[in-house]
Amino acid sequence: MNLRDSMESLRDFWAEFSKVKTGLVGLALLLAFVLLGIFGSFIVPFPGASSHWRDITFWQDNPQAAPPVWVNFFSATKGCPSTTLTKPTVNSQDEGNGVSLETFVFTYAYRYDLPPRDMVIRLKGTGQVPVSITVERPDGLSAEIYRDQLQLAEDDVQRVSVSRNCAQAVIEFVRGQNEDLASTMSPELIKPIGILFSKLDTHVSDSPTPVKGEYKITVTALILSSDFKLDKPAISISGYVSGLLGTDASKRDVFTGIIIGIRWALIIGILTSVVSVIAGVLLGIIAAYIGGAVDWLLTRLYELIYLLPVLPFLIVISAIFKPSIWTLITIICLFFWTGSFKTVYSMTLQIKEETFIEASRALGSSAWRIMLKHISPILLPYSFASMALSIPAIIVYEASVSLLGLGDATIVSWGQILEAALSQGAVINRLWWWVVPPGLMIALMGMSFAFLGTALDKILHPKLKTR
Amino acid sequence: MYRKYVLKRAAYGILMYVIMIFVYSTLFNSVADRTMRAQIDEQVAQEMLRYKNLSPDQLKAVSDSRREGKLNQYHLNDPLVSRIFWRSLRTLGFDFGNSTIIKASTGDRLVIKIILEALPRTIILFTTEVILVTLIGVAMGLYAARRPNGGFDRVNSMITMITNGLPAWWLAMLAIMVFSYAVPLFPSGGLHINPAPTGFRGLLDYLWHLSLPLLTLVLLGIWGTAYLVRNIVLSNLQEDFVMAARARGIPERKVLFGHTLRTSMPAIMTLAILGLFASIAGNIIVEGIFGWPGIGNLYFIAVQQNDVPILMATLAIETLFSMVGFVVLDIIYGLLDPRIKVGGKA
Repeated sequence: MNLRDSMESLRDFWAEFSKVKTGLVGLALLLAFVLLGIFGSFIVPFPGASSHWRDITFWQDNPQAAPPVWVNFFSATKGCPSTTLTKPTVNSQDEGNGVSLETFVFTYAYRYDLPPRDMVIRLKGTGQVPVSITVERPDGLSAEIYRDQLQLAEDDVQRVSVSRNCAQAVIEFVRGQNEDLASTMSPELIKPIGILFSKLDTHVSDSPTPVKGEYKITVTALILSSDFKLDKPAISISGYVSGLLGTDASKRDVFTGIIIGIRWALIIGILTSVVSVIAGVLLGIIAAYIGGAVDWLLTRLYELIYLLPVLPFLIVISAIFKPSIWTLITIICLFFWTGSFKTVYSMTLQIKEETFIEASRALGSSAWRIMLKHISPILLPYSFASMALSIPAIIVYEASVSLLGLGDATIVSWGQILEAALSQGAVINRLWWWVVPPGLMIALMGMSFAFLGTALDKILHPKLKTR
Repeated sequence: MYRKYVLKRAAYGILMYVIMIFVYSTLFNSVADRTMRAQIDEQVAQEMLRYKNLSPDQLKAVSDSRREGKLNQYHLNDPLVSRIFWRSLRTLGFDFGNSTIIKASTGDRLVIKIILEALPRTIILFTTEVILVTLIGVAMGLYAARRPNGGFDRVNSMITMITNGLPAWWLAMLAIMVFSYAVPLFPSGGLHINPAPTGFRGLLDYLWHLSLPLLTLVLLGIWGTAYLVRNIVLSNLQEDFVMAARARGIPERKVLFGHTLRTSMPAIMTLAILGLFASIAGNIIVEGIFGWPGIGNLYFIAVQQNDVPILMATLAIETLFSMVGFVVLDIIYGLLDPRIKVGGKA
């Protein structure tokens, strides 16, 4: 078959394929998945996540178990979303003698009903740096929430969390406005961040009224010598709502996990199905064409594996060998080749009797040549369909093994996200944004391959029947 | 002729089962040996407590001889092949020994008792599910086949493709989240409330606990079954005898139920019987999520606790049932399709 012929048959195939609507939908979905699998790590909000998925410090500035941002559309009280402020206006003032006063001013537009859960100011620098942080509110009040001399080793990072480090300062701020109110507060019991963003009336602790508008957060640092420095600080606002799909109980961004999971689902699904279908087709051809003892042995092997309960077996083996994704793929392959074996076997028995095979044998072709050059090309279309159709089950098996906590801990897969959700009480606490998306993705990917496979089957099947 | 066919099939099934048990014994050989030795040591130490008036030397001699006796009784001093052989033989005789950790609700550690306690629960949930799914699925499939490419048929095949790659356990998680926590209609898991009510109230309570898992599984299962039944029936509707029946003026209803359903029966029975016997293995994850203490749940606990005797017994029993399923299927095939039993001669 030369190039032009194959181009032609490809065009014919496409003409037929494009008539099957579900097949096109499946193809479009698959393309989207592949693109997201390749470029996903560039569009996610936390690019380093695939290697830091289980790293607690990587996620520490996120809120815990926060719903997605878009729930604000559906609720009357708007929660504050998570954001990071990284671009302050910088002002450097020379005080003489190598001393300079650096001010970094962040503006933050706050238009929400529920205050953020925390605000973390990350200060990175070197040496002893006196720092003060002030929040200027839209109602004209201004609060100094932090004042300390930082002791930083070379390029050290100091995190100032308003909830944890600024309670006393916030009470002092309240005292400056309303002495009586401040006397009812104790640093252990108040929510400093809530007070900072609310009206200072008697209800500030139980039902606060938000003060909306533009907040100015100013970080002032005194640089005492040229050896010392303070880089541009950044402010993480860990919101009431967070990201496209919220966060989980370990503060991880669910959307990031979902996107990273695509790659692994594709790798596992496609690799396993390709290997197992090729193995099944080849073994089927060999068993049917050569026959005799080989046939008997392979058929018995097929029956044996067909009878083995797959999931229990996967579980035992994953529990024995410390699970890596490659062993898992190997084991699934050992089970899944049986899927195409029997069909190929009976098809080969038919093809074997065709005259062109006989002719080829008369010309002195070896058995291998006949099997590889004459029989397997005929079975190729069937193989593609059965590859696509076996992928959903493979993805579900990987997810099931992961759900039982036996997955590969170095990758991020949807099954593992669901395992975390299940073991950390997402179901009981109704954290739907953590449970629904991974399962939906498994279903969606399964669906795209099912659509593709059925469309292929529809096109290719009549051809096979006429043979 | 038919009897010979049945006997042949049964013998073949038994042979396969024996081979599988040997495979399991080989796989678990070293762990099972270790477990058994530990159990014998424990047992001997227990016995030695009774010999109070023996000197330490005598005690050691007695306990050593007891241990040797036990080891020989279970063929643990034999070479590898012989150990595997004797373990397989014990397993084939349903002598699974004692569990290492897991206990039955009565406190019993006999593996067979633990399994017999879990088995009925799995049968109640999953076998009921398979029966319901088959009945509803066949009805839906026939309905879809009456008007291929009609509204219902399209919806059905669409939902089939969506549910195809949908993990049942995920749906179970959603069902619990919605119907047990958001809208508390059903219990979130378990067999009964504590303390368990008795009599008629106990039955109602049991049904109430059964309903959410059962509904979830049935609602997920029916689509695929309906789609398969539809395909089987449709391919039979293309046959000449159907055309002949229609030409004779037989009403479409009769053609569908009388002629086509009869010829579709072997294939539909395959679905039903394989499902029925596979259902006995339960579903490890779904049982875990619904807190349903059946075979699947037992299996997973056994894996986690490394309880090899239970593990092996569960696998053996699951395999036994699927094997029986295959044999029964072949035998019924012979009844439904007379061409098969003559040994493949059409």
